[in-house]
Formats: sequence, structure tokens, C-alpha cells
Amino acid sequence: MTPAESSAALAALGRGGARDRLSFALARLLLRRCLSLLRPIRRHLLLFFAGFSALALAFVPLGILLYDAFWTRALQGNSLLELEASLLGLDPAVFAAGPALTPSERQQVLARVIAVGLGFGLVATPLALALYYYQVWILQRLNQVLRVQILERLQQLSLRFHADSKIGDALFRTLQDSAMVTQLIEVLILVPLAALGRFAFGLLVVAAFDWRIALGLFALMPPLVGIATLFGRPLRVGFRHARETNAELTSRIQETLAGIRVIKAYGAEGFEQRRFEAASSGAFAAAFDARARFGLLTIALFWVTAAGVVLGTAAAALLASRGEPLHAFGAVGVAAWSLGLFNYFKLRLGDGSSSLRRAFRTWGAAQDVTIGLDRVFELLDLEPEVKQAPGAIPLPPLERVVRFEGVQFRYQPDRPALEGVDFEARAGSVVAIIGPTGSGKSTLMSLLLRLFDPGAGRITIDGVDLRQLQLDSLRSGIAVALQENLLFGASVRDNIRFAVPGASDDAVRAAAHVAAADDFIAALPEGYDTLLGERGTKLSTGQRQRLSIARAVLKDARILILDEPTAALDAETELRVLERVAAWGRGRLIFLITHRLSTIRHADLILVLREGRIVESGTHAQLLARGSVYAGLARQEGAAKPSDASLAAAMDRA
Amino acid sequence: MTAATAPAIHADPGGLGTLRLLVRALRYVAPFRRRFAQKLALLLASMLPLLVLPWPAKIVLDHVIEGIPIGAQARPYPTPVAALLDGLVGQEPVWILLAVVGFQLALVALFGAAGSGSSERDSADAYLSSGQDQATRTDNEANAGFSVTSGLLGLFDLRFTIRLTQAVNHHYRGRLFERIQALPLATFDDQRIGDAVFRVLYDTPAITSAVYRILLTPVAAGAFALAVVATLRSLYGDHPVLWQAGAALLGIGFAVALPFAGMLRRRSLAARGASAAATSSLEEGLANVLAVQGLGAESHARGHFDRASWGSFQSHRALVGLGMIIFLAALGPALWVATRVFGYVAGLVIEGELSRGDFLLLFTYYLMLAFACVELGSLWLRVQEAAAGLSRVFFLMDLPSEQEAPGVATLAPLASEVRIEDAHFAFADGTRALRGVSLALRVGEVTALVGPAGAGKTTLAYLLPRFLEPQAGRVHFDGVDVRTATRASLRAQVSFVFQETALFDATVEENLRLAKPGASETELRRAARNAGADEFIRALPEGYRTPLGRSGGKLSGGQRQRLAIARALLRDPRVLILDEPTSALDAETEQRLVEALREASRERAVLVIAHRLSTVRHADRIAFLEAGRIIESGSHDELMARPGGAYRRFVELQRPDAD
Repeated sequence: MTPAESSAALAALGRGGARDRLSFALARLLLRRCLSLLRPIRRHLLLFFAGFSALALAFVPLGILLYDAFWTRALQGNSLLELEASLLGLDPAVFAAGPALTPSERQQVLARVIAVGLGFGLVATPLALALYYYQVWILQRLNQVLRVQILERLQQLSLRFHADSKIGDALFRTLQDSAMVTQLIEVLILVPLAALGRFAFGLLVVAAFDWRIALGLFALMPPLVGIATLFGRPLRVGFRHARETNAELTSRIQETLAGIRVIKAYGAEGFEQRRFEAASSGAFAAAFDARARFGLLTIALFWVTAAGVVLGTAAAALLASRGEPLHAFGAVGVAAWSLGLFNYFKLRLGDGSSSLRRAFRTWGAAQDVTIGLDRVFELLDLEPEVKQAPGAIPLPPLERVVRFEGVQFRYQPDRPALEGVDFEARAGSVVAIIGPTGSGKSTLMSLLLRLFDPGAGRITIDGVDLRQLQLDSLRSGIAVALQENLLFGASVRDNIRFAVPGASDDAVRAAAHVAAADDFIAALPEGYDTLLGERGTKLSTGQRQRLSIARAVLKDARILILDEPTAALDAETELRVLERVAAWGRGRLIFLITHRLSTIRHADLILVLREGRIVESGTHAQLLARGSVYAGLARQEGAAKPSDASLAAAMDRA
Repeated sequence: MTAATAPAIHADPGGLGTLRLLVRALRYVAPFRRRFAQKLALLLASMLPLLVLPWPAKIVLDHVIEGIPIGAQARPYPTPVAALLDGLVGQEPVWILLAVVGFQLALVALFGAAGSGSSERDSADAYLSSGQDQATRTDNEANAGFSVTSGLLGLFDLRFTIRLTQAVNHHYRGRLFERIQALPLATFDDQRIGDAVFRVLYDTPAITSAVYRILLTPVAAGAFALAVVATLRSLYGDHPVLWQAGAALLGIGFAVALPFAGMLRRRSLAARGASAAATSSLEEGLANVLAVQGLGAESHARGHFDRASWGSFQSHRALVGLGMIIFLAALGPALWVATRVFGYVAGLVIEGELSRGDFLLLFTYYLMLAFACVELGSLWLRVQEAAAGLSRVFFLMDLPSEQEAPGVATLAPLASEVRIEDAHFAFADGTRALRGVSLALRVGEVTALVGPAGAGKTTLAYLLPRFLEPQAGRVHFDGVDVRTATRASLRAQVSFVFQETALFDATVEENLRLAKPGASETELRRAARNAGADEFIRALPEGYRTPLGRSGGKLSGGQRQRLAIARALLRDPRVLILDEPTSALDAETEQRLVEALREASRERAVLVIAHRLSTVRHADRIAFLEAGRIIESGSHDELMARPGGAYRRFVELQRPDAD
């Protein structure tokens, strides 16, 4: 993806907009994408469905049996059907013979119904609970996979993305938006199918009673669909806005806390508080709009279905009161309305319309689910800038020479960061890269690590273009100690072991020694086990810097990059560190980025960078002799006496 | 740091502690009591129609279908119902039916209920889907809207409730955020940012959860239960089994709550903690993502998050499992009670005392009663999860903050001297950073603080704006102890440039204006010029309006540092402190900065912490700090003249060897 495309993709992030117009299309798209997420757990899904179906299927016939036995037989007094009697374990000769049951027989039937019902309940309930627990586990697994996928994608995206994005937004998408995947199956598949299924069943039964009422029930659909369509887009827009404002709020909090020192220093707490409250209100307002709309939807749905039920029941009541025959198509059994039939009818009608209502209500909730998932996929769809080419090979083991050939790079189209960089660095040497701030030193190293690809030119290791190497193989072959010493809230030992988690304690200690860090670590309250605070804040900068170096040393890579490694160290410590690193690094290729000349006088090759170009290169002696930029800088810095040469004079020579 | 600032994992408050937390929560929402009262009124009002609901069905059953004339049914109707039916005496079933239908439709429109069947009744709520982790369930809590009814009343009730919930939550989390900001700097070392985010967003909704349960449920459930019992008694008074069953359910609710309450609360605390840890892990991983990339440690970071995230899911699942166990524990006795009632009432029908319509009515009432009683009885259980959230929020709120002592005054602008006298400071884990340090900073002077890494220089500098409090010793501004002044007035005149520059995801202008919100363009440019930043800022695509990206990631290290210095200068402080301001700068920029500082020091006291000779040699006074003590101080020349002096040694190490 080109920088321009990347920016465009970023700008579009979270603006959904046009996509909100589609609804079923959007849902279908998301479903398809989620199918790949479902694949790893399909066996569990099948198992779950099997269990669920078994339980449901067992319930239905039993329910009918018990209902009829109770309502029409025990309460009303009719005799049992032969089938019923045998199923309930009662003697058909007594209970199924004759037209009616005696009170004591009815009591017996009642007792039997209760017993069977309870028995089933006591067995089914734990099973149902276990099934539910299993469902929770499955959904969590699904969510977990998605979360890690999102983090992986975020890790692949480059500086360009991260500089423009907010941590809070990424947090929100990874934790909150991704949670919608757990509702996916339920909300987009299960509930609608089940509900529509029950509605169809109810419709059929009602039709068996009286086709006119069934028609009325079916006629509920159009108004419901109309309501759903009316609410569709406003719901989606509302949900998206609610999510965005909440992500914004998350960002607000994270940023304030990350920069709390500066806020305190400048007494800006009040200002930050006001910003927080504004963001909080905004988030609540958006949530209110979304939820009030949703609430209105559910109420409107209810109005329609309840009216349907009331009218349908009334019609049936009228028919029953007149003892009219059932207008059924191919009806069997009873020919006329009776109280028992009426109640059953009412049950089915009510159930059918509730199912319909539930289906549409779920559809409303589904809008939120789809928006959440859409936000997740927006992020997952961002292409990382640096991709591993198919057929990439691992890093060649000997790494004798690194070459930059005509390398050009720009962060943004109009600002070149590096131009025409050409040099060669051999193993067993120390290459120093110096230059004023912003001259491109760190960029050079980012390219070597393939955090970006050059716009023109190429970089090779032993003649192999970096773009042909496997990314992780390349990066495990290079160790870096960065300018910002980013440490984590873990123990000193774990921080050093960061890139090499299985390293032994001895290795850790040895690395710490090379970095001249072992003395201060030993002086810490718990030595190597001391926990560092968030971002390693318990140590001084110089100490953190040395830990960073130790971390890089431990990796034992053949190429080492030290970016301003000793900026915060006093001269004595700096000397120690450099001596030890140089000794340890014999035979390796060490890149040293700095602007302190005192550290590099013994380097094998010094590259002087200025505004993205190498203006001079050579050894310390060679560069001094040529008396140009380097000499000017040396004079500036290393003067044994207060400098006579004015700043302007030095600049003139440059 | 004291023990009170120990890490965020904290203990279970216990049963008594929970009670206290709940009382505290109630007191906290006292400012909203009028609205709560209104909600209660709405709740009671919406329950009234519920009592009428079973009647239409019975009327239809008895008088329309079975054709029993009005007045001739088995049991008399309660007065209001009888009154309504008076007008229909002697009418054809059709008309009775129409009247009932009309009545039902009106009920639907207004109250969202036509009868007591589940298809005829609905309650309104605005609950959306949530996930299977603690954090993802609280969005519904934070915006909770619910009504017992549907229809127009339900709509109004729903909106009212959402607004109320949001108002309380907005207030609560605003206060928590305020308290967090006010925590002393030292506390932030041990707190995780992700955890704090979690508490502000996902623990705070517990307050409305708890308060709703405490205030609304007992009243609603209690009133409802009483109303049902009263109705039953008036109609079927001689069947005490029914309301005895209700009382039994109440007891069952209590009995189940007691043993499980503590367990539930602890599980909830654990689940919240695990979810917060996952948030922290993710936040840290994202904040450091570039370092992670550079170090090739992506899978390591992912592994860490993977474990933390799955841990939070497991924790939540344990909570679900516990809920199931509690349910099963209560199920047995509850089923037994229900069965007794069922059998009893059915028996009455068999004996002919009640009609089947009566059964329907009675059992419906019984179920309503049962539900209300269980709700009421298990109240203690239901507040436990909310209590866990409350515990976490109040914990953070109660941490000692940078409180102003009573009677503090505004600090006058510094005129001549800042003096640190005999300061002693040790960290919470016992590390002694300062052992009796005295230092004077004078207006018009540049003082340099030099010394080996870890000597305590930054710690000493932190005393000046009162980021840290010395355990012994004092800091004076023109003789006035800073503890007698407000922190705001102190910090208003002290600008601190930190070693790691903290820039925000905003434009250059906005970052600068953090120091002085009303600064004019000229002022901004002047400060930037003095810091040597104006040039590169103007070279940016949009100049001063260029957005800097996260943490100012679009600038180089040196540029960020210069910008931070510009920000510090913008404020025109009386005391300017710079911690390693030149570490990322090249020699020529450094020179320019040193000169700018010299200029700046004409009207203020400047303290520079540095390693580099080139930065400190021109300071008016140099103090050499080692192992928490100042062992030498004087000007460069004075100190160099001392044979074997620490400073001299320090300088000589930096001088390049003779060429």
C-alpha cells in the first residue's frame, strides 16, 4: 500500500458511512468473514448443536403430553388417551376406558404429571446448564482468537499507522468491538432461525384451527418488516456513533494517564478534566440516542404483535362461544371449538407472535453486532506496508557484508528522509553514523530492520535483497538498543530476556555485565527480580539505557544496532560500556548511531549524515584530515579549552 | 510511596465491608435522590396495571366462551372490576368481547400489556448484546434502561431511566478521573494505565447497579408481593398455602444468599482484576508497539496478551459457573414449594372448588409472587458483583492524593532564591535516594547538577515542584516553605522539562499551549526560537498547525526535546528545570540551547541536570551529586582547581585523548 493509500484507508477508518446503507448485504459479508473464524471450533459447534437439539426434541413431545394430561384430563376430567396412559405409566384399562375420570383418578393423574414433570426437570436442568457453560466456553474461544488476530495485525502495521492512530481506539476495537463476535451465531443465525421456525409452526397450528385467523397472524409480517426497515439505518448510524464516541473516551483517558507527568508539571489537570467530561458526556449522549431508538423499536414491535394477539384471541373466543366447527383444512380430531382447544390455540398464537417479535427485536440488536464487527474488520483489512514475499528465504548465516545501494525513502511524499544513500559495512567492524538530529540516522536503521521498504534502491545482506528474506528471520538476526528505552512493567530479568525468553540466568548476567549494568542491578532491592514500574520508571535513564543494551546483547545477533546508546550516561560509564561492547562485539557488525563524537573516534567507518544524505565517510583520521563537516563538529564538541571558533565560523566551513 | 500506594490487587472487603461500601454508594448518589424518587414512583405506577391483567382472560373464558352470565360466575369479582362490568350485565357475549378487546387495546397502547400471558405482556429495555468478558458487559450497566411496562408509559420510563443511570455514572466516573489525576506522581509508577482505564470505564457502572438493586428492587418487589397477597386474600382468602409459599421462597432466597455471597463477590473481584490485567497488557503492548517491532518480539508480546486475555475469560467463566451452582442450590427447594402449590391448586379444581379459569388466575398470581419473593430474598446475593466494582473504585479514590493542607496560601513569584535544606528522601521499597542534600538556586544564575547515573539528580529536582515530598528537610522559596503554599501556585512558576519528553497527539501549537493556554502566536514563536525549535517547526508541512501524531512520533528525538523546552519557556517560569536537555542534541544545537539558557537565566533561576561537560561548563554554579549527597560545588574553574576532585575527574574522562 502506498503512503497515499494508507492515509486514505486511515481516514476512512471508523467512518462507515456508505456501508451503513446496506444491511443484509453487510450482514452477509460479515458472516462470510466470520466463517473462517468458526472453522477451528466447528467440532465444538457441532457437538453443542447436537446436545441442544437432543434436549429440545426431548422436550417437545413431553411438553405436549404433560400439557394435555394436565389441562384436559386432570383438571377437566376427560379420560386419558391410551397412548397417554401408557406413557405416564398408568393402567389404560382404568384411565383410558370410559368418558370421564373420577376425582381420585384425576388426583392420580395429577400426581403422575407432577412426578414426570419434576423428574424430567431435575434431569434436564443440569444438562441444560452444562450445555450453556459449554456454549460460553465456545464463544470465549472465538473471541480470544479474534482478539489475538487484531493484535497481530496491529503489530504488523508500521509507524505511519501508529503515529496517526490512537491507542484508545485500538483498545476499544480489540476488546469491545471484537466481543460482538460472540453474539454472531446467536444473533445472526440461531435466534432468527429458531424464532422464525416457531412462528411458522404457530402459523400452521393456527391455520389448522381457522385459516382466517392464520391469515391475520401472517398479516402481522408486513407492518413489522416496515418498522424494521424504518429503524434499520438510524439504528446502525446510532450504534456506530456510540461506539466511536466511547472509543474516543477510552483514548482520552489513556492519553491523559500516559502523559500525567507533564500534565501535573503544567498544572493542566483542570483542563484535562474538562476534556474528559466533555468526552464522557458525548459518549453518553450517543449511547442514549442509540438505545432510546432501540427501545422505541421494541415497543413499536410489541404494539403490532400484541394487537394481533388480542384480535386473534378475540376472534377465536367468538368462534368458541358459538361452538362453531373448526375451519380447518384436512382437520383431524375434534370438530368444534372447546375450552381446551381454545387455550391451546391461544398458546400457539401467542407463542407465534412472540417469536416473530423476538426475531425482529434480535434483528435490531444485530445491527449493533454488525457495526461492532465491521469496525473490527476495518482494522484487520489494513494492509501492512511490509509484507513477506512468498518464497522468502531465511537470513544467510554468515552475514559478511551489508550494503545500501542508492536507497531513498520518504515518510511523506513531499519530505525525503533519505536520498541516495550508498555504503558498505563489513562484519567485524564498527560503523558509526553521525549527524544532526533529524538527519535520517534512525530512519537508516529502520530500513535495515525492514520496518519500512525503501522507495528506491535496495539494501542487501551478503548480496540478498532484504525483501527476499523472511521477516522474522531477518529481525532475529539483528539486535537493537533504541533511543527510547522502552521497558516493561516486569522484572529486570524479564526485561533483559524480552526477545530471548528462554535465556539462562548466566546469559542474562553476562549480557548485563557487557552493558555495565550488573553493578547497579546487584544494588537493587531484589536484584534481577526487582519489578520495574510501568514503562520501567523506577530506574534512572542511564540505567534504563544500559538495560536496553543488555537486552540487545543477550540476543547474540551478528548485527547490532545501538541508537544513541550512551546519551544519558556520564563519561566514565560510557567508556566502560563502549569498551565492553566493543570487546564483546568483535567479529560482529555494530552500527552505532550518535551525535557525540567522543564515542566514535575508534570506529572503522564513520558516515556523516546531513538532511538525509551521506556527505562524508571515512575513519576519524581521514575525516579530520579532510577538514570539513566532521572536523567542524569535532571542533565544536571536543574542545579542551573554551572554544574560540564561533559557531558561525564552524557552520561556514560546513 | 507508602504502603497505601501498593499495587492494585486488593483484598476482599468482607461482608461487613460490603455493607459499608453499599451505604457509601447510597450516600454518594444522594444528590440524585429526587430523580430516584421519581423513578420509584414511575415503577409503582407501572405496576398497577399488572394487577388488572389476568382479568380480561378470565372474563373471556367464563362469560364469552362458556357463556356464564355476568354475576353468575363461581366467585365474585373485586369491586373495581365488578364496577366496570356493571355496564355489561345482560349483554350478548359479542359485546362483552368487544368491550374487553377495546380495553385490552387501550392497555397495550398505554402500558404495553393486554393480559398476563408472556405474549400479551412486555417490558421495555434497551439492553444490547454483550460479550463473555467482564469489560464487555458493563456497557449495558452504564446505560441501563428498563421499565416494567411497555407502551407509552414504558417508553417514557425507559428514557427517564437511561438518563438517570447516565447522569449518575457520568458524575461518578468524572470524580474518579479527578482523583486519579490528583494522585502523587510516585503512585503512577506502580499503577498500570490499562487498569486505571478499566476502573474508570468498567468498574464505575457498578454504582447504579448497586443502587438500583438496593433502592428499587425491595420497594418494587415488596410492594408487588404485598399487592398480590392482598388480592389473593380478598378473593381466595381461605387458602393460606399461597402466600405461605411466597414467604417460603423469600426464606429460600435468603438462605441461598448467605453462604454464596462472599464467594460471588470474590469471584467477581477476580474477574474484574483479570479483565483489567488484559486491558493493561494490551495497552502496554500497543504503547510500545514500535519497540516491539524493532526488537522482533511480536510473538512474545502477543503471547503475553494471549495469556492475560484467556485468563480474563476463564475468570468470567468461573463466575458463570458459580452462578449456575447457586441457581441449582436454590432450585431444589423452590421447585418443591412450587410443586406443592401446583398440586394444591389443581386439587381444588379437581374437587370442584375452583374453575379452570380460576386455576389460571391463581397460578399466574402465584408465579408473579414467587418471582418477586425470590428477587427480594436474594437481594444480598445480587449486589455482590456490584460491590466488587464499588470496592475497586473506592479503593482508587481513597488513595492519598495531593491534597492541599488547610490554610495554604498562594506562593508569591520567586524574587531571589530557592533553597533546599538538608533533604532526605527514600522510596517506598527502602532505596535511599537523598541523604541530606542542600542546594541553593538563585535568580539570575544557571546551576548545574552533575553526577553519575543513579546519584539522585532527578529525585532532587522533583522536590522543587513538589512531585515528591522529602521525608526530612525543607524547600524554601524566598524563605517561604513550599508546604505552606498551594501546589497550583508553586507549579505555575516552575517549568520542568522531563528527560523523556511527553508530547501529545495534537498539533504543535496545542502542545505548546498546554503550558499557557492563552498564548499568542508571537509568544509561541518567541519561545520556539529561544529553544531552537522555530526553524524545524516552520519546515513542517503545516508549520505550527502540524499534527504530531501519537507521542510526537513524527519528530526526531532532538526535535521533540527542543519542542518540550520551547513549551517550558513559553510559560515564563521563575524556575526552569531541565533534566538532561541536551542528551539527544548534536553539538551545535546544544551550544545554541546553552546560550539560550544563559539568556533565560537573567530573569529566573535555572537548574540543569546533565552529564555533558559542554552543557555544564558555563554554569554559574555546579553541584556534584554522588550517592545522594552533594560532595562538591562551585564554578567550573573553582572545581577544576581542586586536585583529585570528583568534578575534575568527571571532566577529564570526557576530554578526548590528545590527538
